[in-house]
Formats: sequence, C-alpha cells, structure tokens
Amino acid sequence: MKQRISILADLRIKIGNETFDNPIWVASGTFGYGTEAPDLVDVNRLGAIVTKSITRQPREGNPPPRIVETPSGMINSIGLANIGVERYIREMLPIYENLSTKIIMNIAGTDIQEYVEIMKMVESVSSVIVGYEINISCPNVKKGGMEFGVDCDMTAKLTAKLRNITERLLIMKLSPNVSDIVSIGMSAQESGADAVSAINTVVGMSINANTGESNIHTTYGGLSGPAIKPVGLAMVHKLYQDLSIPIIGIGGIVNREDVVEFMMAGSVAVQIGTANFRNPGISEDILDTLEIFLEETHRAAATELIGAVKTHS
Amino acid sequence: MIIERAYIKSNREVANNIWEMHFEAPQIASEYSGSGQFINILVMNAWNHPLRRPMSIASVVKGNISIIYKIFGEVTQLLSEKKVGDEAELMGPLGNTFSNWKNGTYPILVGGGVGLAPILNLKNECDTHHVKYDIIIGARSGDEHFMDHEPEKNIILSTDDGTIGVKGTVMVPLEKMAKENENPYLFACGPEPMLEAVRNFALSNHIPAQLAVESYMGCGVGLCQGCVIHRQNGEIGRHSYHEKYSLVCLDGPIYEAKDIHFG
Repeated sequence: MKQRISILADLRIKIGNETFDNPIWVASGTFGYGTEAPDLVDVNRLGAIVTKSITRQPREGNPPPRIVETPSGMINSIGLANIGVERYIREMLPIYENLSTKIIMNIAGTDIQEYVEIMKMVESVSSVIVGYEINISCPNVKKGGMEFGVDCDMTAKLTAKLRNITERLLIMKLSPNVSDIVSIGMSAQESGADAVSAINTVVGMSINANTGESNIHTTYGGLSGPAIKPVGLAMVHKLYQDLSIPIIGIGGIVNREDVVEFMMAGSVAVQIGTANFRNPGISEDILDTLEIFLEETHRAAATELIGAVKTHS
Repeated sequence: MIIERAYIKSNREVANNIWEMHFEAPQIASEYSGSGQFINILVMNAWNHPLRRPMSIASVVKGNISIIYKIFGEVTQLLSEKKVGDEAELMGPLGNTFSNWKNGTYPILVGGGVGLAPILNLKNECDTHHVKYDIIIGARSGDEHFMDHEPEKNIILSTDDGTIGVKGTVMVPLEKMAKENENPYLFACGPEPMLEAVRNFALSNHIPAQLAVESYMGCGVGLCQGCVIHRQNGEIGRHSYHEKYSLVCLDGPIYEAKDIHFG
C-alpha cells in the first residue's frame, strides 16, 4: 500500500445519497471485476469500482483480434465478454463484502427486458453494491445497447423501468456516437437517473496498410485513451450546461491534470479507463497527485473544481 | 507480479534485425518461475503509445533478465535506440511456463522468427538440468541467425533460402527428428503459420507439443480481455471463464497443442 501523502483537502463527493471518499473511479471494462490485479493496486483507495458489463447470460465475446493500439489510444471490440449475472451474484458479490471501496455494477442488455431481469435478480439478493451504471452505449455488440443510447424515447423508457426497481444509484452511461448527447442525457434525467457518465468509446477503425486487413475482427471498435479526451471534455461540458444531475467524466484520463480538467468541465467524479491497462495502480498515483494539486492551488475541497472552467463566452 | 524500473545493461543487434537486451531487474528475476514467462515493457512514458509491449523472457541470470526482439514499429525502434544505463519500466513476471520437459520425454525445441526467446530460455534450462534435447531454429535467411548450425550438438538451423543449415522450414528437420527419437515432446514458439504446422504435425502423429503463442495484448494481467486465443476442448481453465476463448496473458502463453487452435 502506498503512503498517503496529504489529508488536507476534502476529496469526498456526493451523488444522490451516496458519499464517495474521492472522485477517482475506475471505468467498466478496464478493471475486470475488481479482483484481477491485487499485487498492483490497493482497490480500497479507489472512490469506486465500476465492474465489467454484466449480461443475463454469460458471453464469450468477439473473436480475435479484439484490440489494437492507435495513435494516443486503442480500439477494442471485446464484445461484452462476461460471466453472466448468475455467476456475478454467486462469485463476485460475496467478494465485494470485504472491500471498503464502493462497487457500482455495470449492466448491459439487448432489450429492456434483459436489463430489468438482471437488475431484479441482483436486487433480490443482499449485496453491498451502491448502484448501477447502465451501459446503453456499447458499440461492439450487434444487438447491443447502442439502440437505446442513440434514442431519447428508449433511454427514457429504460431509465424509468429501472428506476422503479432500485433505490440504489442509477447512472446512465452515455455514448458519444450520437448527434445530440444532451437530449439523451435529459431523457435519462427526466426519467429518474441519479447521474450520467460520459463518454463511452468513440466508434473507430484501424487498417494494416501492408496486409490490407482490418486490425479488429468486427471491423469497427471503440476508440479510447488520450485520443478521445477532447471529445469527452466537450460532451461533459455540454451536459453540464443543461443537466442538473451529476456527471461522471470519462475519456482518456491518465493523470491528475486530466482529472482536474474533467472536473472543471463539469464532472463530479471521473473514471480511469484505458490507463489501467498500462498500470493497474495508476488511479492511486492520480489520487495522490490530485491531493497535492488541491493543496498547491489552495483548494479545500475537490468539489471546488466542478464546472470551474473559465470559458471565453 | 510487480512493476520495476530496470536499468538496461546491454542492447545490441545480434543478427539482421534481431536484437538482444539485458535488464537489471532483481525483483522480477526473484519472482521468475521458468521459461515461457514474459514481461510487459513500457518503453516510453509519453502516452502517444499507451500500451506496454509484451516480450518473452530469454534468460534470467542472477538479477538480470534478457529479451530478444525485432524492430517492428515505432516502439521497438525506440527500444533499439535505448542506451546502456537507460531505464525501462517492466511489469512481470507474467504468464505460465513450459512444463514436462524433464519428465523422461525427449524434448525437441523449435523456434522461429521472434519466437526465439522462450525456446533459447528452455534450451538453457535443459542444459542446466542435463536434459538431452534437439533444437531447431528457423529463419528466412542466414543473416537472421546468430547461432551456428551444429548438427553434432543437435543444434539444427533451417533457412527458407538455404543459405545456412537445412533448406526449408523448421518442419523439414522436425519431422525427421521426431521420428528418430523415442518419446518426443515438442516445444515451439514462432510465427503463427509455424505454430500451426507444428500443431498439425503433433496432433496427426500423436506427439505431445507445447506452443508458446503470441497475441495482441492490452494489459497482460486479465483486465482488458483482449488477448484471446481459440480454445479447442472447452475445458474451463483456472482463470478464464470462457469455453470458446482463453486469455493468453493469464492462461498462457504456453498451451498444449491439443487445447487451442488458430481460428
């Protein structure tokens, strides 16, 4: 465990009725089920772990090649490979009892019924998870959540249905692959979401010029990493203008400056994604250095950063 | 498994576009458990190349680890430009090891292209344990070889163009040697077409074989789920919960030939 450098600034943030120790979370699909890299990270220091998307049935995922590095980023098309909700309940939920960090379960489905069924199954058992992040924006499954994520009415209907099932946090994860992310976010808000997280990956493609082959089996995949940070910042800032519920910022965050920028754009918390692949312990480093930043800039609380960007208009 | 900043102790081109690098990495060396394991190298701190590069361990001597690599793109180009005394950040040791090579069978080691590292590592382990073996190293041309063709010492080189050793692929000497020896056990690492040929030969002749496979890897520790290979028999491993695919970083990189296929 790394030594905590400073405890001066208040890092706590609040979403709904939940208070998180800090705004540094890890993003779904980049941190497995939170149990994979115990040697390299003390997960209890994280603000929250958003676990890998869970579907009703186990999914094998897409054939290889599933990932490729691209300039300042990577494209993935894992295809929601996961153990399915039954094994998640049986094998993962008990593990989370022993963690002090907060667990947010990410759910994916192909129709409203699947999301509903998964959430009902989890709600029917006792668990310590504090909320759900709803994946309505995965670009890598044929009948995936994307049809929800690009449609206001479907987003509203799904959000409302899930709101009826749980009192835990309900976070809708938004896609950047839409013409107007704000209208989707508004639909989620009006239907009872506690927060939105943005952004999921940007649809991308990579080709090998020498072989002429696509570098991803499914041709298109999700672009992530620093390459999409400006896209994420813009979308968070747009959402922040119009939404009153908290926004959790995601998109190529690799250091404390990125965190600060996402919070200044309007994020209450952030999720570290692709950077975990380079270093599963990077969130701890970012947390340590964020504390120093707050101290150096004479901020008493991380929340002072939220929406603090000075725009020119 | 740890992340360690390691000094580069040597970095040189040992054959045409084949490079060897030594690191001083005592912590990773102390956790190392055998040939087949790999390290995940961060060559540059900047984020224009976000991912580490997995490299098979070619040797571990005291606190030093070596790799063998080819210049393949910008990152390996930068690796080749590293000087003695420079640092690189290594994650490791990762993955499983070759097994059963000292259990009374006759190991035939087969390496080609970038797949030399784990095979040379296994060769050294066989030497250390006084296990007799044959080794076959394949390349396109003689200038890619840095070992000598020494059939009397059971070291066979092959080249596609016949400039050194046996003309043709590694399969030419392999098929002969596998039949000449009792209880052969094949251990192979190299380009996918080579591994596929070794696999097909092993399966059709009922010869056991272990393959060290390559896969495009995102993290090396099971987080990204990117590095899958097709599983053959549907047995669910300790780490991977999938029947159809296996994660090379956790379940591999060494597989019994019968357990996987190349899609």
